[in-house]
Amino acid sequence: MTLNLCVLTPNRIVWDSEVKEIILSTNSGQIGVLPNHAPIATAVDIGILRIRLNDQWLTMALMGGFARIGNNEITVLVNDAEKSSDIDPEEAQQTLEIAEAALRKAEGKRQTIEANLALRRARTRVEAINAIS
Amino acid sequence: MSQPWVSSDQPFRNTHDMFVQHQSRRFSVFNTIPRPSNIKCNLRELRQRIATVKNTQKITEAMKLVAAAKVRRAQEAVVNSRPFSESLIDVLYSINQQAQLEDVDIPLTNIRPVKKVALVVITGERGLCGGFNNFVLRKAEARIAELENLGLDYTVISVGKKGNSYFIRRPKVSVDRFIEGEGFPTAKDSQVIADDVFSLFVSEEVDKVELLYTKFVSLVKSNVVIHTLLPLSAKGEIRDGNGNSVDASEDEFFRLTSKDGKLAVERDKSMGKSDVFYPNMEFEQDPAQILDALMPLYLNNQILRALQESLASELAARMNAMSNATDNAIDLKKSLENVYNRERQSKITNEILEIVAGAEALL
Repeated sequence: MTLNLCVLTPNRIVWDSEVKEIILSTNSGQIGVLPNHAPIATAVDIGILRIRLNDQWLTMALMGGFARIGNNEITVLVNDAEKSSDIDPEEAQQTLEIAEAALRKAEGKRQTIEANLALRRARTRVEAINAIS
Repeated sequence: MSQPWVSSDQPFRNTHDMFVQHQSRRFSVFNTIPRPSNIKCNLRELRQRIATVKNTQKITEAMKLVAAAKVRRAQEAVVNSRPFSESLIDVLYSINQQAQLEDVDIPLTNIRPVKKVALVVITGERGLCGGFNNFVLRKAEARIAELENLGLDYTVISVGKKGNSYFIRRPKVSVDRFIEGEGFPTAKDSQVIADDVFSLFVSEEVDKVELLYTKFVSLVKSNVVIHTLLPLSAKGEIRDGNGNSVDASEDEFFRLTSKDGKLAVERDKSMGKSDVFYPNMEFEQDPAQILDALMPLYLNNQILRALQESLASELAARMNAMSNATDNAIDLKKSLENVYNRERQSKITNEILEIVAGAEALL
């Protein structure tokens, strides 16, 4: 009995195959999902998705969205998803620094909201790379 | 207010001969109104012109083929984005069914009295696409005039180099941000616009966000439409500028095929299939938070669809423009060749006449 995981972004299918277990970050904490999990619908926060295939863990950075789990079928809909193997460590670090600088300079409600979002995304990408190493 | 214009070519005719001679040595003599197809009757120049027109024709033909290939890829991109939008619609529908959401308050569905409107104008990156960019910009100007008449304030978010350069030249239109993209739109591009729109709306700087883009109808037809992006209606409906509901559960997509050996486009409507939903579905967080997470996804999806349709319309317009240009080049080459041949033959005839006349004079 294996789980079938589907990770969808608005312009492509990032992942569509079977996995053994996943760990998802949600607004209310991390959820681990094993086969035969009860059906559940949850919002997904900007964070890391860990996928286990045969004792090997794979990390993916998710930029917020939604997940529906039921009958061994997991559908994750996110704004954007990047496999940690596709992220360039230096570029991610630079993006993080730029985002931090932008947040410090932000004035007004609107710029702060934007800068916060950008910072969380950059941080997630950096974490995704660090998680495996 | 009209001022009497002093014609710039009169001095050339009415003043000194010396002056006229001097001028005519610098420029070629333009005694007559230049005929559209040939100004110079020189054989060598005609030959050059024919070669130039032939090159131009090759280029326009190549551009047309490139645009045709890209339209196919644009169509594939739309097809790739369908799983996401279908799942999203499923989820919205099933969540709606399972929870009473009438009194759930989410910032993105907040309907406020409208004082300021944000207009997202999507244009193309490059030219040579016929009237494509012009249509969009004209509609934008019309909408801005409408908003001004209603006494509403507005701001413009311009996407695409052509729109950017247009609005830069118009300082009286307040532009919030210029965005440029290259190639096929990705989720990252639509995320940038979505973030901007999201923060504008949530920080209450604007009360309504409208999307102005070109909808792809067929290879020769496209419509410029205005879609109200925010505020979202909780069921995922979007209402267009006149308050008519454009229901999201009906999806349209275009397809590029070949019929009778020519390119044809088919448009299908497909209903969002309602998936098996799980009667015991639990919500990990309360419905408000879940909808909070779903609305940005929907926003992102709508913007991406608009970008993709816009791109497809631009490519189709370019295809048509280049195809017309190629046909015109072929016609121009034909008429130039005719003139060239006539010139060549008359020159030969003159030479023969001279020779014959000279020979007769000797006799």
